[in-house]
Amino acid sequence: MPTRCRPLLGTFVEITVAPEAASAIDAAFGAIARVQALMSFHAADSDLARIRVAQPGECIEIAPETCEVLRIASELHRASNGLFDVTVGRELVRGGFLPRPARGPFRGPFGWPFRGERGATMADIELLEGNRVRCTRPVLIDLGGIAKGYAVDQAIAALRAAGACEGLVNAGGDMRLFGPRRWPVGLRDADGRVRTTIELADCAIASSANLGNRHRRWGRRVTPHIGFGRKPILCKERVSVIAPRCVIADAMTKIAMADRALAGRLLAPHGGQVLAD
Amino acid sequence: MNRSLWTALLGLPALTSAAAPAQAVDYLDLDQAQRAVVPGASSFAAFAVTLTPDQLKQIKAIAHVPQRATKPRVWKAMAGGRQTGWVIVDEVIGKHEMITYATGIAMDGHVLGVEIMSYRESKGDQVRNPKWRGLFRGKTVRDAFKLNQDIPNISGATLSCRNLTDGVKRLLALHQVALAKA
Repeated sequence: MPTRCRPLLGTFVEITVAPEAASAIDAAFGAIARVQALMSFHAADSDLARIRVAQPGECIEIAPETCEVLRIASELHRASNGLFDVTVGRELVRGGFLPRPARGPFRGPFGWPFRGERGATMADIELLEGNRVRCTRPVLIDLGGIAKGYAVDQAIAALRAAGACEGLVNAGGDMRLFGPRRWPVGLRDADGRVRTTIELADCAIASSANLGNRHRRWGRRVTPHIGFGRKPILCKERVSVIAPRCVIADAMTKIAMADRALAGRLLAPHGGQVLAD
Repeated sequence: MNRSLWTALLGLPALTSAAAPAQAVDYLDLDQAQRAVVPGASSFAAFAVTLTPDQLKQIKAIAHVPQRATKPRVWKAMAGGRQTGWVIVDEVIGKHEMITYATGIAMDGHVLGVEIMSYRESKGDQVRNPKWRGLFRGKTVRDAFKLNQDIPNISGATLSCRNLTDGVKRLLALHQVALAKA
């Protein structure tokens, strides 16, 4: 089966389809590139950048895709009692995992660049009719914990729309597969080794670990995963989540890293599950 | 030290070297990659270019990463007798091993497309995993095996493509310094 690989979403995205549907791969990469353009933290013209530079209380019209991701994030925020929160941009910038945004109307003391207001959460983001969004407090949104999964779902939809009857999209470890085939999937543990191989059909899987991605800040270890009380989660093990949609699998790994039992409870009604190593 | 341990230690380098080259995943050959990164081109003509030390210095100043190869692999993409763009095939280091990729650059210097041609990444430490060794046994780079058929897809913490993004920036600088006026 033809497989192609492009650098997108900050990682390597692989797309595989049956030979007769090979031309669908371009459309699928296009769908991922669109999600990247809309939801990138780094790009100056993404929806996130437009939300960032808006005044508190100002209504911003965003793309339906961004709105859908924010809506899913908001549902997960409520279901997880605030554990899953896309306003962790502040913590990620402070931890050195994201660059400081170049522009923003808000200035900290002494003209320091804006890094989000302390104590602001996802509850300060209002999703309105007509794909509009309003932030009541200055927040720094990062969709790094959910948009990759959404991009995979969009690519799968593009493959299906182009007539592919089976395929696989793997965005740096967050993947979804469809069709009659059972696909072998290796699970890479936090130390980089692959010890387990499972077979999956017609579902999504995402994994997270942060053993190899930690910084030190003021003598404390920080990670790109933020848990209860906005404290970094230090997770030595890999956490994998299987779910029908990749957006849920991706986001649920972040919840599962902090609280596996909670993630298991939230996933069960949707036919998902948490795999720990 | 007992005998079985010695045997294991002696066998280890042989196993590692036997398995290492087979970890390449070849996505596209040169012809396919050229067509993928400059869509619409009908032919590709090799273009010999040798970078002078001064040009290497300029590339580093623009891209903030050094250009090491003095003879980059460059092609002119042609359509209807006119040049429509450039194709550069380059390598960067991934987490441990090299990644070969093709970049298409338009005449005005913007990126038309980037495709990974082959990825010799070990994707972890599975060389020492007997199950994985079994999968690679008897395969060479020439075997046209694809990731999904013979080797499982890997789900794990995200690998960064930062080196590749820096590589593309370097190729854009190379284009500006050595190709734009050629």
